Amino acid sequence: MKILSTLSRQIIVLVLVLFVSAVAHAATIRRVVVIKVDGLPHDQVERFVRERDSRTGKSRLPWIEHVFYERGTRVANFYVRGMSLSGPSWSMLDTGQHLQIKGNVEFDRLTLHSYDYLNFIPFYLGNAFQNRVDMPGVGALDEVGLPLLIDAYPYDERHTSFQLYQRGARWTTLQRGLQNRFTSRSPREIFDEWTTGFDARSIITEQLERELLEKLNNPRLRYLDLYSTDFDHAAHHNRDRETHIRALQEVDATIGRVWTTIQNTPQAAETALVLVSDHGTNTDERVYSQGYNLVRLLGSAGGGGHHVITKRRLLNDYALKGIYPLIPLITTTTSESFYLKGQSTDYPTALIDFDGNERSSIHLRATDLNVLHILLQQLKRKDLAPDLRRAATKNFFATIERCRASWQIRLAEMNEELGALRRLIEKQRAVVAAQPKKWTKEDRDAGRDQDSRRLFAHLDSWISDEREYAEHLRTLAHLLALTPDDFDPARLRIEDVIPKRSMGDANSIHDLQNYLVGLAPGGLVTSVDGSLDTNQSFARVNYFQLLGDVSVRNNVQPGVSNRPIDFVAARISPESVRVYEDLRGVEAIIWLSGGRGAQALILARQDERGKLQLRYLPVSELSQSADGQIEVARAAWRAGLPLKIFEDPRLEIPNGESRPAWLDEWHTDLDWLRATHRTTYSNAIIGLHEQLARHQSEALDFNQAGLSNDERLLRRFRWRQRMLVEADLLIVANNHWNFDVRGFNPGGNHGSFFRVSTHSTLMFAGGGETGIPRGLEIEEPYDSLSFVPTILALTGQLGEGGNSVPALWRQGFRTFPGRIIKEVMSQQTEPAAPVAAKTENGLVMK
Amino acid sequence: MRSVPPRLRARQDCSIFFSLLVIFSLPLPFPVAAQQAAADSSAAAASTQNDAGNPAFRIERISLDVGAELLTVFGDLDGREPNNRASEVPLVSILRDTLGDADPENDRLRHVWMLTYTRPTLKQRLAAGVPFLYTRVGNKKKAVRGVPPAVIDLAQPDKDVWQRFLWMALQNIFVNPYGVTAKSSSRTFQRNTEDYRKVHVIRALAVLSLYEAEADVESVFSPAEMLEIQSRLILTQMTFGGIVDDAFLQKLHQNQATAQLDERGHNWELLRQRAEAEGLLFEPLQLPDGSATHALVWTTRHDVASNRQRRKWDNRFLNISKPWGDKRLDRWDGYTETRFFDAENRAVVSDTPGARAVEMIPLALYGLDNPKIPALLVDFRDGGNPKRREVSRRVLEDVARNILSLSRFGDIHYFLGRTIFDFITSRRGMDVNQPTRLRTYSQLKLLLTLSASLDPEFREEISRRLEHVSLNPLENDLAAEARLARAQHAALMDYARRPDGLARQLDRDRRAELVPLAHGRTARVLFRFGHVLSFGHYTHREKALPETGRTQIDVARRLAHHRRFLREVSKSSPIIEVVWDMSEVRRSLQFVAEHGARADGATASAAARIFARTKDEATQRLCLDTLYHINNETAKNALWRIHQDQTVPDPIRTLSAEYLRKAVREEQRISPTDTKAIISAIGQ
Repeated sequence: MKILSTLSRQIIVLVLVLFVSAVAHAATIRRVVVIKVDGLPHDQVERFVRERDSRTGKSRLPWIEHVFYERGTRVANFYVRGMSLSGPSWSMLDTGQHLQIKGNVEFDRLTLHSYDYLNFIPFYLGNAFQNRVDMPGVGALDEVGLPLLIDAYPYDERHTSFQLYQRGARWTTLQRGLQNRFTSRSPREIFDEWTTGFDARSIITEQLERELLEKLNNPRLRYLDLYSTDFDHAAHHNRDRETHIRALQEVDATIGRVWTTIQNTPQAAETALVLVSDHGTNTDERVYSQGYNLVRLLGSAGGGGHHVITKRRLLNDYALKGIYPLIPLITTTTSESFYLKGQSTDYPTALIDFDGNERSSIHLRATDLNVLHILLQQLKRKDLAPDLRRAATKNFFATIERCRASWQIRLAEMNEELGALRRLIEKQRAVVAAQPKKWTKEDRDAGRDQDSRRLFAHLDSWISDEREYAEHLRTLAHLLALTPDDFDPARLRIEDVIPKRSMGDANSIHDLQNYLVGLAPGGLVTSVDGSLDTNQSFARVNYFQLLGDVSVRNNVQPGVSNRPIDFVAARISPESVRVYEDLRGVEAIIWLSGGRGAQALILARQDERGKLQLRYLPVSELSQSADGQIEVARAAWRAGLPLKIFEDPRLEIPNGESRPAWLDEWHTDLDWLRATHRTTYSNAIIGLHEQLARHQSEALDFNQAGLSNDERLLRRFRWRQRMLVEADLLIVANNHWNFDVRGFNPGGNHGSFFRVSTHSTLMFAGGGETGIPRGLEIEEPYDSLSFVPTILALTGQLGEGGNSVPALWRQGFRTFPGRIIKEVMSQQTEPAAPVAAKTENGLVMK
Repeated sequence: MRSVPPRLRARQDCSIFFSLLVIFSLPLPFPVAAQQAAADSSAAAASTQNDAGNPAFRIERISLDVGAELLTVFGDLDGREPNNRASEVPLVSILRDTLGDADPENDRLRHVWMLTYTRPTLKQRLAAGVPFLYTRVGNKKKAVRGVPPAVIDLAQPDKDVWQRFLWMALQNIFVNPYGVTAKSSSRTFQRNTEDYRKVHVIRALAVLSLYEAEADVESVFSPAEMLEIQSRLILTQMTFGGIVDDAFLQKLHQNQATAQLDERGHNWELLRQRAEAEGLLFEPLQLPDGSATHALVWTTRHDVASNRQRRKWDNRFLNISKPWGDKRLDRWDGYTETRFFDAENRAVVSDTPGARAVEMIPLALYGLDNPKIPALLVDFRDGGNPKRREVSRRVLEDVARNILSLSRFGDIHYFLGRTIFDFITSRRGMDVNQPTRLRTYSQLKLLLTLSASLDPEFREEISRRLEHVSLNPLENDLAAEARLARAQHAALMDYARRPDGLARQLDRDRRAELVPLAHGRTARVLFRFGHVLSFGHYTHREKALPETGRTQIDVARRLAHHRRFLREVSKSSPIIEVVWDMSEVRRSLQFVAEHGARADGATASAAARIFARTKDEATQRLCLDTLYHINNETAKNALWRIHQDQTVPDPIRTLSAEYLRKAVREEQRISPTDTKAIISAIGQ
């Protein structure tokens, strides 16, 4: 009986196992091939797919039509969440988590350390010298504990292309690319190509595709991707239809070759091909995109006379230094500085990241540092009148006292954090020292050599962080140590107390509205009570007003405004505006200042279920007093407010509701997306929140229970680092304007929140067993956060509630905030089997 | 007295002869101009077909009895009176040999005449040989005699390349030994001649682009023809351009168009930003198709007065002197224009509410189709400014090459110095030592001819000032060019009507076309040598063209058409049917199968690739049929490989075996190795 019972139990288990295997077989994606195309606008793809070529009678983009329109599913309303900018956008697409990287370039305010996420050349040089393994963006994401989609696949089961978030470098691609360039063509073809102009750029792209096609025949590989920037490049330069079609046809042809190769492999039925892009492109055949030079504006006397630092050389193609590939920080010296003439390299006062072009992020030196710097300069003068000296000294120390509390806290906290970092460095040194010096082929195939070098790269980066912050803190400590009693400005060196090459603390709205740029023309002036008259003594700039009023003289294109700046966005601390009834419970506030009195607040809070809710509030005359109190008047809904939602005919609100009533309510981000995604600014409300609000990942949560002291300090340190790269102002360009001063992008740009720039491309197609519907167009809007969870869900790596399977959870994958695009799986009769968790014999591990 | 050895004297005599020959025959680059042979019988009955309703361009199509068409693009002289024949200028004529039918597959484009391109006068020729004479010497005034010179013969694009090399060899062997004067004269002459032709090639390209851009008029040229004309014209500017394979034309054309639009956009934006930064006004000038190829920079009377004390001025990229405090502007009595602007600085009509009047003074005119930086073409305060910039590179080259006999390849110091200098001036965008302004200069002349947007008085002034920029004594001014174009067109029409004119020319061209069908490669190479060595005066042709000859040409042209198509198809897509209309592909394969015994290896390779890239069985079978009928080793090798391929379905492999067997029996061209393998595997 017992034997029978055991036998029957075994039979039941066997049947169950067979059943599970059968279900898995019925709807399984074992392999994913992702074609990542930078800046591929959905509308252009749609337009050219629909257009017939008179010569062939087929679509202008026949392969996209064949693969994705006829045999796949396309998401018709897929948007960038955040700025339509490659660095941030790919970071979100590659991680599926909220935005941590907020520009193609980021600057640390305290040290001016720059994170240049786009520049391949320093990465390759660093890789050649073995002190860098991954692209800078990957390093930054590793620090904040966000794994990439590719990390869901073991090193030897993935094949990745050259891309922004690239792990490791493949030098053979460069070498083989060059070889193949000559061996894949006949001598006659090479000669003709040389005669008509050798296209060196395509050497790498051709080779990357060639390698992908080769690797598709390797059954072990489960994730493969190919990244292309050719369309983005073409669209920046040229606005004409023919150039765009041609660039798109190259993408189309690549899709054809990849799809055909997939179909010729045994895994074809279980392979999904995905086409995804990071943003659209604002390009119009009739209009040149016009550039506006913010560097020049800030360098002018009216703009504050700033020495400006950028990470891109101005007019790069016209500078001899432009050929230097490592691009250090570029300082643009102004002759109109009020008090720092000739000191641009030591004391720059503005940092500008204009990458992305339709937007720019600006850091200005803390206005308090400016006050101290100017007063010290004055106090060092021997001819300063005694009453002015007294007043200036008093004001100097009053300024320090006003900042002392926050500076003292920063100093203490950062010293603690650097202590923890030093201890970590020592531990890491030991780990690095213990690493093998030689690697076998098996090690290299498994990526163990890269893992080892990655340890060193982290160590190197931490050492550099420690050195830079320690230097800054030393100067801050000197400043805080000053006392009126032993204060002798003549003997004091300014650089000992005012840190060189540092922006100091972030500026408040009050600071930016009253930004101190120098001495007033009359110099220091005392009030009747003998104190320093700070209103009369200093020249100030209201940056919101300055930027809102910018206009140009040459207005030569129909449909292009003479105002280059659409609006300026800045984050407001909710604490400063709590008095206002509407704002109770608000966790983040973003102020949009559109010039000509057009202002609005974007408010964010979480509902009782922890879901993000957003509200758009028209306001006017927002100002902040010196004590931090924000005064703001509620404004009525009207046309012309920032983002122009109210008047947009494509705003889709629920039936029966009036626009003002609906717009006055709190709504979830999904409700906003559904209502606004077809408007001129699409999902800007969500995007601005994503861009300017702070998002704490688990690895940055220093209050989490169970952490050791050093772990807590190191998490706080990483969190602080992310805050230190936050800019004072986000400036968003008007339609067909851009801020690119490296060169010119007359063809088109992106970076803004215009729908044309945020509306991106996402399409799926797959073999018979993938369950991806054929000929399906999904109208429901989705954004970047949906990409990774959808891929993981398709491949069975996502469990209930959007959580990763255990294997991935252990690697740092966490719950994904984005929605899975369920329509793509609508033909999967059962949830896909978790491929990542399978054992070698194919049985599913529960 | 210096004695000259007889051998050297003979060499000198020979050199003088060739030098003279060079000087006086270079402007006649194409034999069509020289061939005024005895009359043929066929008359050129002309029928004109006009396209009404085209505001900028009109096409005149003359049908010739001998089976050809002469297509002429007319442009409106001042752009103000659409379809006013009195103000029209004939611009480009193209001869299309149709073989007398309406089927475009056997058409062949032949000569392209840019009708402003003319044979220079003796005075112009002599001046063109004077070193360092960087100026025009007047216009050609006399009426045109004979046939105008063509800028290219599209049926023989490679001729250019060989002639260029012949001239280079002659220059080095016969002219250079005579010292600096002879060397620099002949080189200067060559350079001017080449530049003169280049200017007109550029203008022909621009005219054809504009004509093509006329959205409401159906082009008389098929897309393939337009591609061929434009690409081959572009290739005339490249050293080996004439021998580039047809397969590259599309890519070349696209690359050129993209690069040109890229440059234009960059320069547009660069100039706008610089004008904005310096407080000037920027005005793009547009060709009739709306493309902004040039731009004006203005200041205002008010700014001149109010900025008198302003010190700040950045000359970079603008390349004109500071207008602030310039006395010439203070007392400016040249051209001015009053315009009206609204509150957003947009130009508006005078009666717009709130419009403010601004008196504008032109400062400079720039060309935007120029590498790297906008090319200054007119400086309204300093006429010599653009010319000095244009001359800078030319002087440097002429002095180095002709006077100092320095060559980049012969002197390492010069090579290094020049490379660094070129790099710095180019990289920095300094407007000295920059590529020539020929393109943008040529386009501006066209713009002045066609644009209605400029005030006539202002246009006249620009035109007058523009002529100063030209370095070439062979150039004529705008008015003369319009007159010459009309006269040349009339001469061409006369030539087309004469029995001994275009009809005879066409007959000769067709007989020359028969040569590859009648002779092997060695003979053709020898004929080519004869042609080149006789400076184009000897061209081998077959004897009188019988009806069979005409049929042969017809088949050969169609075969070439289908060959081009199949090659394109075969390389375009991994699965042909996704991208192409398969009935068209099959039609081409069918034609090659029926007439393709002489088809080449490239056609066979194309058929084999199509076989591999289609799943359509009918097409696959046609590919096999095609490969069987093409009588060359490549075709049979491809057939053999298909037969060996185990993944190919059995019926197809069986069919390929049958074809191979037949081919062996018929003793078609098969490599010995393949023959052995076929016989052993399939049998005979």
